Amino acid sequence: MKKHHYNPDACTACTSCVIHCPVAQAVREFQGPKLAGPAGERFRLQEDEWESALEYCSNCKNCDISCPSRVPISTLNMKARAQYYKTHKQPLRDWILSHGEQMAKMAGLTPGLANLGMNNVVSKAILKTIGISNKAPLPAYASESFIKQFKKIKQQTYANKAVFYPGCFVNYNQPQVGLDVVAVLQANKFEVIVPEAAVCCSSPLVVNGYMDEAEANAHKNIAILQDYVKKGYPIITACTSCGLMLKQEYQELFTIEGIEQVASHIYDIAEFLLELYDKGQLNTNFAKQTGRYLYHAPCHLRVQGIGTPSLELVRMIPGIEVIDADAGCCGISGNYGFKADKHDIAMAVGNTLFETIKTSGIDTVLSECGTCRLQIAHGAGAKTVHPISIVRAAYDRK
Amino acid sequence: MQATVVVIGGGATGVGILRDLSMRGIKTVLVEQKDLAYGTSSRFHGLLHSGGRYAVKDAESAQECIEENTILRKVARYAVEETEGLFVRLPEDGEQFESSWVTACAKVGIPAIPITPAEANRLEPQLTRRIRSAYRVPDSAIDGFRLVWQNVMSARQYGGEVLTYTEVTAIEHVNNQVAGVKVRNTITGKTDSIACDYIVNAAGSWVGHVAHLAGVDVHVKPDRGVLVAFNHRFTSRIVNRLRPASDGDIFVPHGSITILGTTSSPAERPDDTIPRTAEVAALLKIGQPLFENIYNYRILRAFAGTRPLYSADPNAAGRSASRNFTIIDHEKDGLTGMATIVGGKLTTYRLMAEKMADRVCGKLGVDAACRTAVEPMIADASAADMAAAKRFFPAYSVNSAVSRLGAKLNEIVKVMEDNPAKRQLLCECEMVTLAEVEAMAADPTSYTLEDVRRKTRIGMGTCQGAFCGFRGVGVAVANEFIPAQEAPNFIKDFLEARWNGIRPVLWGNQLREAELMRGIYGASLNIDGAVKHENK
Amino acid sequence: MRTSDVIVIGGGLAGLTAAIAAVGRGRQVTLMTSGAGTLAIGGGTIDLLGYLENNTLVATPRAGLSLLPPEHPYSKVGSQVVEDAVQFFLTMCQEESFAYTGGLDQIQWLPTAIGTVKPSCLVPLTMDSTPIQTASQVVVVGFTRLKDYFPELISKGLGTIPGFQKEYQEIVVDPGFTGGRDVTTLDIARWLDTIQGQQVCREQLVKHMKPGSVVIIPPVLGSRPSYVVRDTLEKMLNCKFVEAVIMPTAVVGLRLRAMLLQRAKRLGVTIMEQAHVVKAVQESKRVTAVITGNVDRERSYPTKAVVLATGGFFGGGIVAEHDSIGEPIFDLPVTAPAEREEWGTRNLFADAAQPFAKIGIQVDTNLRPVNSEGQVVLENVYVAGRNLAGYDYCLEKSGNGVALVSGYKAGLNC
Repeated sequence: MKKHHYNPDACTACTSCVIHCPVAQAVREFQGPKLAGPAGERFRLQEDEWESALEYCSNCKNCDISCPSRVPISTLNMKARAQYYKTHKQPLRDWILSHGEQMAKMAGLTPGLANLGMNNVVSKAILKTIGISNKAPLPAYASESFIKQFKKIKQQTYANKAVFYPGCFVNYNQPQVGLDVVAVLQANKFEVIVPEAAVCCSSPLVVNGYMDEAEANAHKNIAILQDYVKKGYPIITACTSCGLMLKQEYQELFTIEGIEQVASHIYDIAEFLLELYDKGQLNTNFAKQTGRYLYHAPCHLRVQGIGTPSLELVRMIPGIEVIDADAGCCGISGNYGFKADKHDIAMAVGNTLFETIKTSGIDTVLSECGTCRLQIAHGAGAKTVHPISIVRAAYDRK
Repeated sequence: MQATVVVIGGGATGVGILRDLSMRGIKTVLVEQKDLAYGTSSRFHGLLHSGGRYAVKDAESAQECIEENTILRKVARYAVEETEGLFVRLPEDGEQFESSWVTACAKVGIPAIPITPAEANRLEPQLTRRIRSAYRVPDSAIDGFRLVWQNVMSARQYGGEVLTYTEVTAIEHVNNQVAGVKVRNTITGKTDSIACDYIVNAAGSWVGHVAHLAGVDVHVKPDRGVLVAFNHRFTSRIVNRLRPASDGDIFVPHGSITILGTTSSPAERPDDTIPRTAEVAALLKIGQPLFENIYNYRILRAFAGTRPLYSADPNAAGRSASRNFTIIDHEKDGLTGMATIVGGKLTTYRLMAEKMADRVCGKLGVDAACRTAVEPMIADASAADMAAAKRFFPAYSVNSAVSRLGAKLNEIVKVMEDNPAKRQLLCECEMVTLAEVEAMAADPTSYTLEDVRRKTRIGMGTCQGAFCGFRGVGVAVANEFIPAQEAPNFIKDFLEARWNGIRPVLWGNQLREAELMRGIYGASLNIDGAVKHENK
Repeated sequence: MRTSDVIVIGGGLAGLTAAIAAVGRGRQVTLMTSGAGTLAIGGGTIDLLGYLENNTLVATPRAGLSLLPPEHPYSKVGSQVVEDAVQFFLTMCQEESFAYTGGLDQIQWLPTAIGTVKPSCLVPLTMDSTPIQTASQVVVVGFTRLKDYFPELISKGLGTIPGFQKEYQEIVVDPGFTGGRDVTTLDIARWLDTIQGQQVCREQLVKHMKPGSVVIIPPVLGSRPSYVVRDTLEKMLNCKFVEAVIMPTAVVGLRLRAMLLQRAKRLGVTIMEQAHVVKAVQESKRVTAVITGNVDRERSYPTKAVVLATGGFFGGGIVAEHDSIGEPIFDLPVTAPAEREEWGTRNLFADAAQPFAKIGIQVDTNLRPVNSEGQVVLENVYVAGRNLAGYDYCLEKSGNGVALVSGYKAGLNC
């Protein structure tokens, strides 16, 4: 598959990206993706200066989605950020927010205490000093990680195998989602394998400029996943940011042998189930459900160019009504909204979505992205659910 | 008007002479028929030669180059980017030339440091991997616009004057002694005369035309060279092909862009400067062995200039006509008080100016030494100036802006400090601020948007004026440089000039840009309809 | 197996119109778009026809239609289709509470930012310039620090044009933006979306403006497809606004695009973003599926018909390299001058069409692509918009018009 080019030649200065950038709309200090991205790139080829506007980019990908010239705008921004941090130190705050996996592992030793630790007033004040917002919806750690719980499941053995890559958020914060994925795959006669040795997809590392670490992680993950891909197993994700990294951003940022082959075997869970449907192999034995939901398409899903498979999938369940919120970016964009100096921007960005939810009369929002779910709960006061959990409930005849 | 010396021609040679004479205390006025650097000085590679290119065939020329290169890198620091250069040999280039080249460089005194092909590729990752041998030389990139403009700014400080869009309509002499020139402003139509004691004909490819006005003959064959400007900087060093000098064998980084050139063919007229698609195609084909990805790089435009080639041998043509310069004192034709300087290359402009100024001083009985080899054109910006500039100029463009503005830097910074509205980016592709554009538009030599372009780089980046063109017109009207009713014609002239270079490269992303430009000015602003109305 | 009745490739005006027309016939439509295209940055007026190819002004769009050569897209589909498309568009806007005005029998002369006027056909109510005709005094409003708008260009430029020779008064409103990036029209439109912005604007204008004024203003009366901002301000100030045509970002296109997207989604069109179609599956002379080229892998989408509205050169629908030209998805034959040197005339503004502007795909009267012998190449593919050969939209002022008419026709046929 043709990878993105890195030179800024395709840009025609049309400003489509600036129009559609949710951060530019929320904050005037941001010069905008065009100047920070391709226009700046022409000068970065010559100069070593740091464009301070680059720190505002949340890597939400709305610029890429709107660009009529297919300029890899967000990639140019991320590479520029990485270049800057080669000679400058990231603040502690960025380290904490990027290394969720390490943080979780430490917290995992005593998750109860850790949760107490993260969300009490004293800790929040400390976090604020470091630069983490004390208003943002920091996720709590689960008492037992998904992988630990997975190991206790007695699965039905099937000839068909699928590898599930849970990602940090599902694994450490919302393991129930992972369990729902396993249940759904089992209901479709797949035996699930979870590669324990896989590491963080590195989306948070990339966005904060820890490019070398991200690359090392990518190498690790590709090596592990490659073995399964060679056996013909699909790799399933339930987090659209993880999916985006594995399918797309690894190739855009790094050169890794075997990456193309692995990327072509990555599936979002709903995407995978719909492809089963196309082959006449999907278990459509859904119990009739009741429920009115709003659906929020994560930006990192929209940029994958596969439409909205979760929305299509849950609409197959009889009795369910799902309305597409279609109200733009929620604002959190990974860990962007957790930063003290970016929290207000994130809330401004998500405002249209929050208002849409509040005025809809619907109290539950479906979305495949974990941090979107946190942000929506925080900004709109709504309940949030991963669409796959609705599917599982329909299989379980609840 | 009155002056001691009138210099005809506003290219590098002319302004160099203007500055040198002004520095020696001689009241000099320069007249230029169009805009400063309109001719060859803005239509070349942008290469400050190390001399490597001439070492084998023309040692004298090469010698001049390396000496002047060294001098200009010091005194014209703000027009020069010290990129260094590479000479690179490919398998199809003979080894014999390489050895004679190495010898010749050593003889002339041009440092040519051998490096491994791997090292060459490490330095320039976009270069082909088929390199057989490579050398580092002190080639540098020089910006013709900046060089000319900075000479003028410096000359003004010493009392020199420049009149653009001022063509010479007659050269007057009394008893075979030059008395002055008659001039006409081609935009306003106003005529004037300048009485003077000496005339320097530095009109480049037009020297023949000017000489004719004085009733003397100078045989110059304009030779045409086409070049191509790429949208991004894919090499940060000059890259020369290590083989006998030929077409299309030099790539030069030029700020945010890269230039490839050039060709050589007889020109019909000195202003035979509309490039053709076939010439571009030929250049790309020749350049591709060095940068294999060349067809994937976006071309912004093609442009052409004419070299003024003078030769005693009327049949010498192209590259075999000497690139050395010649000073013709027209006393030999029976006319006292006029000399023509012809030939040469931009790299040696200062030397050419020195020699001409020496002659003029000799004739005028002025005893003043040339200081252009030692006195920098612009004093260095202090750390404080740089710090101030960084507060207001967009991040990546501070160094570019500082080198463009030279002595005017502080003035512009103050404007931006006092009035935040002036920090606006008028040209987003080349990152040029409103303050700078207004200051340059206010200069008496700026009549058209093209003139402002040459001084500031607006319209020279990715969009080729599609966006900044309109803003430039708005600024011109807002500052009363032109009446508002003239706006459609003003933008039309600007876009037509840009079009000359875009038309031969209608493909890829530049074709898309051209569609966007026509969409804006044709479909939205209806320039074509408006201009027609005015014609009614 | 999920399948579509129609896949529309391209989310510009042509594609959206085709999708809406098709779904209105009960077809199951998927629209695949890659990038927001020129509709988002351009002026969202429907310029139907302003000039003929030699730069002669038409008397009316309708009159001009009858003078067009047979290879022009309007001639291919016929004047009845043009009529119907215009009606379709006006009705649709009405139903979306975002009415446009105009028709084939008059030219809408729109003031532009450079002080010219340009001929259009169907325009949003905020751009209806007829109030200027009867006024003797006109106010020209500018905004502090607005980069792409100079009131004096308009007030002094328009003053030389018959029908626009009025007494012009300039007023500058200061929205109070401090610092940050340069101010664009969209920034001000978003500011006027807010109650506070409207009040500040009103306060500043009311000081200098007489009741009953006609006011030329940049396209800032809101960023959404609605007249709420215009109505509110016109009521507050007792005036009539006329938004001028400006360069990108023109906001008017953004509003129109939002309206079309909202209508398409409401009618049940499935819209896929970032879906870049790279090739297709063909069996004999029919397309059975289109294939997107995502970074990870290709994906195939079965369909019964396709509308190709991929936007000509700018949209990537036709690709010209230095030595080739082609239509990248179906490899449809593209008509272009043989020599690249002939693609552009010596002058940019030449009272004649630019040859490269007319490059495109030849079609039959049903908009299906044909080869040089006039034979249909693909029976279930319909071409709309800039991809069509035979017209120079920049000279004619016919861009959105051809997109609308051909999109409508394609939507009816597919």
